[in-house]
Amino acid sequence: MNTKLVRRLAIALVAPTLLFAAACGSSDKGATGGKVTIVGQKFPEADIMAALYQGLLDHAGFQATVQELGGRDLYLSPLEKGTVQISTDYLSSMTEALNRQANGDNAKLVASHDATATLAQLNKLAGPVGLTALTPAAAQDANAFAVTKAFADAHHLSTLSDLAALGMKLKLGAAPDCDQRPDCKLGLAGTYGLKISAVVPTGFGTDQTKADLKSGATQLGEVGTSDATLAKDGLVILTDDKGLENAENLVPIVNSAWLAKHPQAETALNKLSSMLTTSDLASMIASVSIDREKAADVATAFLKSKGLI
Amino acid sequence: MVPLLAPTSLDNCLTRNDWICGLYYSTRAGDLQTALVQHIGIVLASVSLGLVVAIPLALVARRYRRLEGIIVGTTTAIYTIPSLALFSLMVPFTGLGHRTVLIGLGLYSLTILVRAVLDGLDAVPDEVRESALGMGYNPRTMLLRVEVPLAVPAFMSGLRVAMVSAVALTTVGSILDYGGLGNLILEDPTFKAQVLAGSVLCVALAVSLDIVLVVIQRLLTPWTRA
Repeated sequence: MNTKLVRRLAIALVAPTLLFAAACGSSDKGATGGKVTIVGQKFPEADIMAALYQGLLDHAGFQATVQELGGRDLYLSPLEKGTVQISTDYLSSMTEALNRQANGDNAKLVASHDATATLAQLNKLAGPVGLTALTPAAAQDANAFAVTKAFADAHHLSTLSDLAALGMKLKLGAAPDCDQRPDCKLGLAGTYGLKISAVVPTGFGTDQTKADLKSGATQLGEVGTSDATLAKDGLVILTDDKGLENAENLVPIVNSAWLAKHPQAETALNKLSSMLTTSDLASMIASVSIDREKAADVATAFLKSKGLI
Repeated sequence: MVPLLAPTSLDNCLTRNDWICGLYYSTRAGDLQTALVQHIGIVLASVSLGLVVAIPLALVARRYRRLEGIIVGTTTAIYTIPSLALFSLMVPFTGLGHRTVLIGLGLYSLTILVRAVLDGLDAVPDEVRESALGMGYNPRTMLLRVEVPLAVPAFMSGLRVAMVSAVALTTVGSILDYGGLGNLILEDPTFKAQVLAGSVLCVALAVSLDIVLVVIQRLLTPWTRA
């Protein structure tokens, strides 16, 4: 009885582990380009970009898998080592991440509003750590500042300079660290001369930030340029005419050693970058985060409509 | 100004972003099932991994009582590391794959499981041990035939805590894209129907596993039933 009990316990403990190991063990082989792992962060825009890359690479004969991770810190070192090969990335954020890695947390900022200059900085930083930046897309998800369409129409506003010319005191809904950021309150006050009376820390492009704009609790709100819900919410972005915000074009970052052996990946991804615009991206995000279609379906439909696959 | 397309959405519970949405369940049943199966797999594998390590550790702690403080203290210290930090720290060594999540969750279960095994064995009355010695059991046969069966109730209560705690912690694995139902929640925290479905399934899974363990315990220890 008691040895039976021990045996039963042993089976109960070991069986799930073995089953699980067996379930993980299966894999399929074939196709030409080989396996490739695309990494990115975990939010709808990054999901869509990863699905676009995956569609293109599968079409080019690779077997692509996607891993969506909680942050860039998690995949930066595996990407440099080559255990994963491609990331869906952002021009300035990636440049500054590599800058911090190379020169410490207090390194002088090198990314800017100028996409070409920032790409040059990125290439300078990426090469030594074994990474290559492919061609960035025109599409970008940069910080931006929005007002209600009614407010913009009433005061004939289209740029942040127009808003500053009004000379009125404004409440700003933004990320909690906005007070100290040169691309947020400091820059709005310093570069544009806006009078920000208070920063309401409701976050970057959150529902609350938008709700406060609509209710009039704030007059200005921090959002992303690829935000698909702005039109629906009656909000418009004021153009950053003095170049306060960093260029955040979508750019594939690739492990250099892998790329050298698989140059066809660059050809495939560059086809997308040469044509993807911010409004393409925004409408795909709308399909995912408003219509609740799946990112993979939206990406496939887009690639087909553009004749890319 | 960036031209944004005016959304031409249909009006349904998905586009209204309702908490409860029949259309969501009918169109994403496959996703929910995949996530649930992955969740169960992660929980069972990580707790099993924890047991494989915890049992020898507990036996060592019991054999050499001076080590008990070190072993229990170390496993408890691991439990205090925030899960996000633990996974991030492990990635350089264990990679971005499943291994990191399973080892991480396995480590977390140690603190509960090592204590559970020790508590179980400590719950064996001394007079039972003495009788067993008197009947000629050696330490090994006494452990397997006398102590283990009597340790089952206390051990199983620990295992239940470890299992339920693993169900909750597994969601954190989503930062490595291996978090079962957590993947659905992190994918878009503003997607109400999905967040609710993922959370409810998580709770249901924890309750179900707990019931299964209670039943197993009853089957293993028929003498505890009056």
